[in-house]
Amino acid sequence: MTMLDAQRSKPAETTTVTGVQLMQGLGVQPAKGFWEDAWSQVVRQPRAIASLCWIGLVGFLAAFAPLIASGHPIYSKWNEEGPNRVASPLLRYLTAGDAMIVVIALLGGLLLLVPRSVMKMKRGHRLGLILAASAQAAFAIGIISIVQWYIGRREIPADIRQATLQPWFRPTMAAAAAVVAMAILLIVPTFRRLGGRLVFGGIVAALCFATIWGTWGRPVLETFPYRDQEAQGIAEHTYTLIPFSPNERATNLRLLEPGQTRLTPDIRYAESQGQDTSALLAKAEESPEYILGTDAIGQDVMSQMIHACRLSISIGLVSTGIAVVIGVTIGALMGYFGGWVDLLLFRVVEVFMAIPVLFLLIVAAAVLPRNTYVLMIIIGCVAWTGAARFTRAEFMRLRNQDFVQAAKSVGLPLRSVLFKHMLPNGVTPVLVDSSFAIAAAILAESVLSYLGLGPAEQASWGRLLASATNEVGEFKWWLATYPGAAIFLTALAYNLLGESLRDAIDPKLKKARV
Amino acid sequence: MGTYILRRLLLMIPTLIGITFLLFMLVALAPGGIGAALRVSGGGQVESGQKQMMEAYLEDRYGLGDPVPVQYVRWLGRISPIKFGDRAQVSLRGERVSAPKPIKDPVAWKWFVEELPGVPEVGHEWAQGASDEERGLIYAKALEEYVAARAASVGAAAVFEQEAARLLKDTGHADIVDFRNRIEKGPANRVTPDRTHELWPRVEELGQRMMAAYTRAQDARGRLQAVFAAKPFDEAGVPIIPGALYVDWPDFGVSMTRGQPVLDLIGNRLPVTLLVNCIAFPIIYLIAIPGGMLAAVKQGKWQDTLLGGLFVAFWSVPIVWAGVLAAGYLANDRYLGWFPVAGLHSNDSDRMLFLPSFTDGFKPGFVLDTLWHLVLPVACLVYGGFAVLSKQTRAAMLDNFNADYVRTAKAKGVASNHIIFRHVFRNSLLPLITMFATVFPAMLSGSVVIERIFSIPGMGSLAIEAIYLRDRELLLANALMIAAVNLFALLLADILYAIADPRISYK
Repeated sequence: MTMLDAQRSKPAETTTVTGVQLMQGLGVQPAKGFWEDAWSQVVRQPRAIASLCWIGLVGFLAAFAPLIASGHPIYSKWNEEGPNRVASPLLRYLTAGDAMIVVIALLGGLLLLVPRSVMKMKRGHRLGLILAASAQAAFAIGIISIVQWYIGRREIPADIRQATLQPWFRPTMAAAAAVVAMAILLIVPTFRRLGGRLVFGGIVAALCFATIWGTWGRPVLETFPYRDQEAQGIAEHTYTLIPFSPNERATNLRLLEPGQTRLTPDIRYAESQGQDTSALLAKAEESPEYILGTDAIGQDVMSQMIHACRLSISIGLVSTGIAVVIGVTIGALMGYFGGWVDLLLFRVVEVFMAIPVLFLLIVAAAVLPRNTYVLMIIIGCVAWTGAARFTRAEFMRLRNQDFVQAAKSVGLPLRSVLFKHMLPNGVTPVLVDSSFAIAAAILAESVLSYLGLGPAEQASWGRLLASATNEVGEFKWWLATYPGAAIFLTALAYNLLGESLRDAIDPKLKKARV
Repeated sequence: MGTYILRRLLLMIPTLIGITFLLFMLVALAPGGIGAALRVSGGGQVESGQKQMMEAYLEDRYGLGDPVPVQYVRWLGRISPIKFGDRAQVSLRGERVSAPKPIKDPVAWKWFVEELPGVPEVGHEWAQGASDEERGLIYAKALEEYVAARAASVGAAAVFEQEAARLLKDTGHADIVDFRNRIEKGPANRVTPDRTHELWPRVEELGQRMMAAYTRAQDARGRLQAVFAAKPFDEAGVPIIPGALYVDWPDFGVSMTRGQPVLDLIGNRLPVTLLVNCIAFPIIYLIAIPGGMLAAVKQGKWQDTLLGGLFVAFWSVPIVWAGVLAAGYLANDRYLGWFPVAGLHSNDSDRMLFLPSFTDGFKPGFVLDTLWHLVLPVACLVYGGFAVLSKQTRAAMLDNFNADYVRTAKAKGVASNHIIFRHVFRNSLLPLITMFATVFPAMLSGSVVIERIFSIPGMGSLAIEAIYLRDRELLLANALMIAAVNLFALLLADILYAIADPRISYK
């Protein structure tokens, strides 16, 4: 680079500001916070934007999966006269959780898209609000689902069963969900003022109330009689984008290649019998295609892929969240106290370092129940050592600094010193690392699912990938290519995001030149 | 240095104990506990009485009835090189033989006798000039009798327990019977059974049988103990305090599901995994170091961007996907079919010559055949490792480019190639040594998946089998082995670090 180039590449908008102007408030720019600055550097990189787009797409599909891919029609019209001539089975039988996710995703998306000129609140704050709202709603609905599971069992006492049938039971449950959501939101510091908290908590509580009210007592539909109804001419159904549910199966439709329809077996049979297939072919033109084929028990792959986005998003975030909480706590104790605490706890870390994480995961997943939540907890409890080591190193560096000594000498409680004063100054490496940890968790899930140890009742990319090969040595390319590519792209997106974040935060590597 | 190594070696002991304890507890947490697979293996066609007897036998044999911590401590005692009590003996087949374990008191024995029959005090004298084989035979016979008598006793007790549980439940003592019809031993002895109940005659008959079987088992134990005390074999280990403390090789036990010594099983599988890893490791370093150097030297240029992208991409490829695609497209006959699909050797490999031959047309021979089978697995192992290592190489080189000595060298006009290869590269090697310790465990666990996809009989597939079958002995020995190898790799990396960098010392 010559001198001339260097001068030319100077930013043109840099202007000098005199002291008088400064006094008048001219040329003063609001200082950006550390994270805001880092974030603005991240979104300047194309790879980070591409990753965010992909993660956003997966998140969008995850949130709206039941609306995008469902075997239940969104609009049905029965040809016979009756009280319910027109209905929407899809909306009618949406579960409470699904409905809540859809509503929060819609409102949250809108909230994030409102420009700063209309709403002064920072985007980071808004994101925090959405996260708080979804966590509380999930908690409230989780509690209600446990109640529902309990009263749905056969062997409950008769008087409780009687009570559940009373007219007041449904509003009580809905109100309970609302109260749970509201109570926690009042404690969590979402807004500084109590008024703000009340309004925000009220909105979330109202959402919970409406969701539980609307979905109470609806059975989970797992039968799909609609195609038969259409064939018999009883009804006309209009479906959403992908007209199959992930659990809609038929053994005669197993292992269809992409682009075939549910009539393919009939056409093949007719061909083998030498019959005329033109009528069937004409019908096949109209019936919906399996865009990505079907799996070994005749379930649509595309629909499963879309519904599996949920597992992918949640397993990455939740398990890494668990790992970060455990790791930061233990790492903080090790780094702050040192000495024998460090020696003892580091043995625990070493236990997890010495045995390959995957091995431990396989053992745990093999002996514990196959369930999404258990899997998240397992991955979180095994993968915390990285966060612990980073936090330990940072806290060892920080513990002798003046501000920590000052906080200690004032007599602040240990919790405050560790997590209010030291943690914000030492959390950067952990947060950068957690993006890579999310990718690792997604990859771990794929391995566990391949070994048949993944969650049993949930569509998952890893399980689809595992079904691509079988004992006889058959290889179904569509079951290997698409789910594998989805896992790969998601892991790649998180890794690239982590790299951009690290480059933005760690400027040391940028200066290096030969 | 010596003290440092010794300290690290001593610190390994708690770590290894921690690992095995963690795994032991995990497996014990499983529904059905440790012996679940064993219990199931009886099949559905066994009569209920027989099933109880078999369960009782397995529980007695592997000590599954005891609390989990007790089981763990017993296992620890077996693998510990420092052992307490009388010295074990080494049988002619090389197995460790120890004195017979005491038999558990039968349930509710006070219903039938005042005092339990003890072990009879018998002596044993070898015949004049008995050879080792003859002594071994006598011991084997006594052992066989004892095992049969003990199994009969345990089985009779199990059958009795079921009937007695029914009686107790009927006569208002349901609180000392659990859901599996097991009776609490202490309270049962204090309870007086209802001798007028209609079930009593049956219970009494079974009880008498149980007591008879117990007496026979005690007699057999006495005889076996006498034979053992007369030392049919050589004693094992080195005594430290005679009769109380001695040092011996760890005893990893016998696989619960296979019936073979665990060490034999691992010994068969370990070389395969080591072979795969030993081929993969040099390849990883050979690709990673030039790649990382190139990326570092061309930092900010398109080569760097391209290589950086490639590294992240390789790093993000799920190993399952890579394996399935490779096995599907490259090995499946319907597509390319270039490589063998599974296994380590061809079917006719036992008739092959060792080396390739050209005398009668080209014959690949055993070595080439094996290597041919290893191409895909090694490729799948390599790609993940070299991505990580390349990134480390690049970062280490860039760190050094910033160093003062590089500026000095540049200022002195040293050629840039000279700077890169002589100055920077040599100093960047240090992190690569430590990376060895990070990549190695990752590769070991990666081979778990790879071995499964390509059906290679290595340590990984053995571990998976052990987990699926809940084979406690096999699983723990496997984990211990993997953990020990990893810890030694960590230690080796630290020592190499100190050797390579004179600034580091572990004083």
